[in-house]
Amino acid sequence: MGQNETAHPSADEVGGGDEEFDPIGTLTLIGIYFAILVLSWLFIYYIEFLGRDLVVVG
Amino acid sequence: MSEAIEGERTFVDKFPEEAAVVRAAMLGSFLALTLGAIFGIIQTLHRTDVFRGLISSTDYYTSLTAHGVFLALSFTTFFLVGLFTWAIVRSLDRPLLNIKITWTWYGLMAAGMTMTGISILAGFVDALDMSADVLFTFYAPLQAHPLFYAGLAVFIVGSWIAGADWFRTWLAWKREHPDERIPLQTFMVLTTMAMWYIASSAVAASVLIFLLPWSLGFIDQVNPTLTRTLFWFFGHPVVYFWLMPAYLLWYTVLPKIAGGRLFSDPLARVVFVLFLLLSTPVGIHHQYLDPGIAEGFKFISMTNTMFLLLPSLLTAFTVVASVEYGARQRGGTGLLGWLTELPWRKPEFTGMMLAGLMFAAGGFSGMVNAGMNINYMIHNTIWVPGHFHLTVGTAVALTFMAATYWIWPQISNKPIYSRSIGLFQVVLWFIGMALMSNAMHAQGILGVPRRTAEPEYAGFEYAAGFGGFEELNIQIAIGGTLLFLSTVLFIGNLVLTMGNPKVSGLAETLPPALSGPDDAPRVLDNLRLWVGIALVLVVLAYALPLGAIISRGGLLGPGVGTYPVWLVPAADALANAPALLTGVVVDAIAALAEVGR
Amino acid sequence: MHIHAYEKLWLAASILLILLLIGSVTYGAVGPGVAMVSDTEPAIDAGGLDEDERFSEPRVEQVGENEYEAYVVAYQFGFEPDPIVVPENSRVTFYVTSRDVIHGFEVAGTNANTMVVPGEVSEITVETDEPQEYGLICNEYCGAGHHVMEGKVNVVSQAEFEEQQSGGEDE
Repeated sequence: MGQNETAHPSADEVGGGDEEFDPIGTLTLIGIYFAILVLSWLFIYYIEFLGRDLVVVG
Repeated sequence: MSEAIEGERTFVDKFPEEAAVVRAAMLGSFLALTLGAIFGIIQTLHRTDVFRGLISSTDYYTSLTAHGVFLALSFTTFFLVGLFTWAIVRSLDRPLLNIKITWTWYGLMAAGMTMTGISILAGFVDALDMSADVLFTFYAPLQAHPLFYAGLAVFIVGSWIAGADWFRTWLAWKREHPDERIPLQTFMVLTTMAMWYIASSAVAASVLIFLLPWSLGFIDQVNPTLTRTLFWFFGHPVVYFWLMPAYLLWYTVLPKIAGGRLFSDPLARVVFVLFLLLSTPVGIHHQYLDPGIAEGFKFISMTNTMFLLLPSLLTAFTVVASVEYGARQRGGTGLLGWLTELPWRKPEFTGMMLAGLMFAAGGFSGMVNAGMNINYMIHNTIWVPGHFHLTVGTAVALTFMAATYWIWPQISNKPIYSRSIGLFQVVLWFIGMALMSNAMHAQGILGVPRRTAEPEYAGFEYAAGFGGFEELNIQIAIGGTLLFLSTVLFIGNLVLTMGNPKVSGLAETLPPALSGPDDAPRVLDNLRLWVGIALVLVVLAYALPLGAIISRGGLLGPGVGTYPVWLVPAADALANAPALLTGVVVDAIAALAEVGR
Repeated sequence: MHIHAYEKLWLAASILLILLLIGSVTYGAVGPGVAMVSDTEPAIDAGGLDEDERFSEPRVEQVGENEYEAYVVAYQFGFEPDPIVVPENSRVTFYVTSRDVIHGFEVAGTNANTMVVPGEVSEITVETDEPQEYGLICNEYCGAGHHVMEGKVNVVSQAEFEEQQSGGEDE
């Protein structure tokens, strides 16, 4: 162990075609996460927070 | 896809002295975890009114202080120094410069934490006139025994020497390898420590200039807003200090366990540079609801905080992509079908993945915490600990536990006692935290406060929202109990592992990244530049607010007292002693004169 | 520096998300007019509250048509006045300060929430609706009796408010 990160690895060490790896599954998962984040934020900010009693206005 | 080649040397084979330090640091960390977990289960059951027989509600705060200090400061930092020592030595492939210095900082940190720990635990013993019931945020004018502050100072100085130890080792390596890029793990350690120096300078100043002299009675009062602001100057970057070792593991170890390799080395460097730059000039977001700080400063802090989301969001992509690469190497196919090809039976893999999943959820509650005016809704409610039990309590803690299953054999040559128990343990943690944290968030929305022994009040009842108050209490109690059981299994498994005989063939290697360091612009390795920019950003974010706070309240506070008073009575007694003594002597002489007459 | 196209897409989405968050908070500030507790009030001597015009007698005062001011002192372990009685459909400004340590002032289940720091005065203005009784709690740990530190904020009808005010003066 050790030295690996400093060993100037080249892509061919990995095996052919890996340069072209497209993480489409990751993009899908993270897209779902993004949608959940946006919807939850809209709910909690605009409905839960701004809809409560005694909003501080000054 | 196992790279464990028979006969290859493990870390402990190559660097036995450093491995001993790593083991000692991690054992210190697990001792803190054990103590913290014991206080955790006591509090969970007390707060939820399931069982209040063990401690009184007054002692609850002693327990809470212990839970916070042992877990948030001790467990995290000791694991970090162990992991970073491993990462530096492993990635530079050279020993530390002087192992005596290494043991010195370890000794200082252990001594400091012991001092602080004693001052806290003494609070349970009525006979001892010592306590530190100030929680891990130690806001003045609540005061702890001087030993509490002195211990913290010693602990922080120890961590500074640790950082210097790693920097010196890197500089020695650089002289031997003048034209090479900084290895990724070393880069991560150095940027994290640079951030730590900037951040901890403020809390060290607060402790040494104000809190310690004040607790010793040298100064009468402090400015509560000033010491509080200095705390949060440190208190927000410290959460990234906890998180960075977990990131180091996600970037450099998790892809390998998944059977792949890191997707992008350059982006990993960018992420760590962003944390160095942005972690500190954001602390005022913990003070959105503080009086005496202008709204403009709060808004600036919020903008910085929101941009601090960026490195974490980028991390999510890079780490998941690296794992996906691993799954596809293992034969995974389809849009999401590759998920089934991952090594879910390995505790180190499943633990880290579940930790990452919880961090994604914690990301959402963190956005709410960061949103300036929405803070009115959740500030100081139990939502906040609900959030950080997802981040430090799971993203960090669960990653550390999972990583232990991977790293311990390499630093001890002893195989894990039971990997099945390990797998069960990490899943149990996830389930326990899902229950507890979810219920804490929901109670927070109802307005239930954090940090209280008895959250039920005589004069009113909470409205029902996502579940009623009582029902959510049950969820918290069950979740907390599962977390405690999970900790017991982890510690038990590790103790049994330590009893295992030493074997060979446990070595693991880390593969290089798909897009390696040569794709990263060289400027990324210019640490001086990044530290310089980080300092400028800190000055921009803090000079005006700190100036305003001092000009409002003064360096030593506007007519604020001390609660409770520690040494002042003793000092008064000492000051009065001469007068008292003189009086006694005079009386005695007078009496003698009477007798003589 | 080579960055994969998907990662660039995600970077763009992330920045959009950040702008959405900052935009929402800004909207909250300028639309509904949510204001932060701030440095509007000068610092105060925490040890001299007994001589302070506002805080020597914590109370609720009418200062204009439908406008009221509540001067509140937080201390180990309670709030003064208790209960804090304010009329419905009015604009109430709370001035809250502490006589000893740092406290919290949280009207449970609402957005009225602020830190209370000795030496500083927290000023927050809210608009009340219908009559309702709210719990008031300290949400910052303030010492051994923290969990018993509670009070009430009672929003009452105009008639009841006037009756209480005059009743209070009669005593």
